[in-house]
Amino acid sequence: MKRKQFIKNAALTAAGSMVVPYILPSGRLFASSGTRRANHVVVCLFAGGVRNLESVQKAEGNLMRNTLNGTESISADIAPGVTMLPTLTSTPLQNAGTLFKEFRYASGPTGHYNAHAAAITGVYSDQTIQLKQPPPFPTVFEYYRKHNSPTNNALNAWWVSNALGPYPFLNYSMYDGYGAAYRANMIQPDSFFRQSAVLGNPVSFTAAEKVKCDMLRDFANGQFKIPTQAISSGMVNSPADAEQLQLFLNDTMSSLSTIQDPWGTGLMTGDMKNIYFGIEILKRFKPELTVINMTDIDIAHFDYTKYVNAIGLADYSLYKLWDAIQTTSGLANDTVLIVVPEHGRNQLPNTVVDAYGRKALDHNNDAMSREIFCLMAGSGIKQGQVFNTPQGETIDIVPTVANILGFDADIPTGLLNGRVLNEAYT
Amino acid sequence: MKTLKIFNGVTGLALATVLLLHSSCNTKKIENRYLYEVQTQEIYQSASQKQTLKTTTQFVSIAYSDLFNSSITNDVLNKMDIAYQSLGDKKIIEDMIIKTFLQQAGSLVPSNSAMRADIPTFVQNTYLRFYNRKPNEFEAWKVKDMIEKNTDLTPKMIYYTLMTSDEYRYY
Repeated sequence: MKRKQFIKNAALTAAGSMVVPYILPSGRLFASSGTRRANHVVVCLFAGGVRNLESVQKAEGNLMRNTLNGTESISADIAPGVTMLPTLTSTPLQNAGTLFKEFRYASGPTGHYNAHAAAITGVYSDQTIQLKQPPPFPTVFEYYRKHNSPTNNALNAWWVSNALGPYPFLNYSMYDGYGAAYRANMIQPDSFFRQSAVLGNPVSFTAAEKVKCDMLRDFANGQFKIPTQAISSGMVNSPADAEQLQLFLNDTMSSLSTIQDPWGTGLMTGDMKNIYFGIEILKRFKPELTVINMTDIDIAHFDYTKYVNAIGLADYSLYKLWDAIQTTSGLANDTVLIVVPEHGRNQLPNTVVDAYGRKALDHNNDAMSREIFCLMAGSGIKQGQVFNTPQGETIDIVPTVANILGFDADIPTGLLNGRVLNEAYT
Repeated sequence: MKTLKIFNGVTGLALATVLLLHSSCNTKKIENRYLYEVQTQEIYQSASQKQTLKTTTQFVSIAYSDLFNSSITNDVLNKMDIAYQSLGDKKIIEDMIIKTFLQQAGSLVPSNSAMRADIPTFVQNTYLRFYNRKPNEFEAWKVKDMIEKNTDLTPKMIYYTLMTSDEYRYY
């Protein structure tokens, strides 16, 4: 071998040995500054305020047969009002992970928005959180998009909300140095796709026509100075990502007539729809961070038996989510699913009586309304582990997500008070 | 000589005074009166004056009336508003709304031949329609030039482009 060739080969080998370790299975060139436990996290906020009594403690029987072990039958007096869909698995989800049976939403008002905000920001707030306004502390999406290395696009972070009102505002905060520039893509799928009658059938342009449109728009935008107060609203998606997202929305809208009952159950509740569309997003974009919620259980304010019913349907939807993760290439064996109710409900009922003689339940900051559970399952999580004593709380979710995705060390100290749920890891 | 100069000065002053008094005290009736009126001028907002972001309902309803020359129904407006709230990326939903309007029957989009028959007028009318102002000289020339050089640029594409531009979002 000639000297010149030898030097060339040696240089290439050295360069290769430096680069290769940083090419990750996900195709990323550079690793995050911390070690990742998995490349995807899905957080499911389950499901509008559920008591441990009816969920993990099975006071009315095992309503969550796809999640929890056991075949306890449903209380006879309310059974006629409960639709139990076929169980999807003989190995409930708890066997694939670690179950914290006595998790806590330890502080702050037990309101849906406050508790959602605590789970998504990792900070309890005793202050009245302004509705229709982003939360005061950075969200997990902003931490991820700002501190994950390399910086990932917004198609990698999704907030799939089952309700409008204040919830769409949970995709970014007002916190200085974070904010809209790091926000997640947010969608309330059911509300969006229900408008297909007025939003379907858009004009389409060819790629060549789009280029011409962009050329003219660039010129027009160049002539207009956006008022400075509007600049902070930021942009979510790059033009290429926006194209992908719009394609997904149009595809989904055009196929709506065939997906009225995609699971063949004969019913499609709000929670089921939200999980269904969330799964479609997971399949299409394979985001690294997804937060999805369910809210139907909140019917408990008015009808206890329907509340019990909604727990069963949420459990069914949850397993569909888990199953989709396990059967989607790129997500399977590389995803951690975290399931946690935002808060519980009161020990004492209110005065509203349902058709089966049961009283309804509110959530007003009593001890039981702070008792929740948390289930972590998937890549790198201990299987079949159960903690029966109080352990872990809502504000631990964000540090744990950051740890799984390997950027927890990059979050400035003092912003988060929770801890990483290390006991769940193998 | 000095006396003569003083005399001439006094005479001139007296003559000027007499002339001034004559003109100011003239009681002759004025035959021709001149009435000064303000000529009607159309005032347009300039791009730099647009500082306020349109609200969702303003954006949707203005876009509709710009394209259809009629008011949007409350039902459609409400549905569009819900869709708008349901998606985080507002640029995308605005884009979808405009594309949907442009595809609907009844949208007032001139034909390509009509546009190319009188491009300067088309450009001016388009700016007035969507930006509520006339194009400045540079804009008028540049857009006309683009249309002339790009024979595949259609009125629908131009409408779509201006309605999804930054300026259209403000008033």
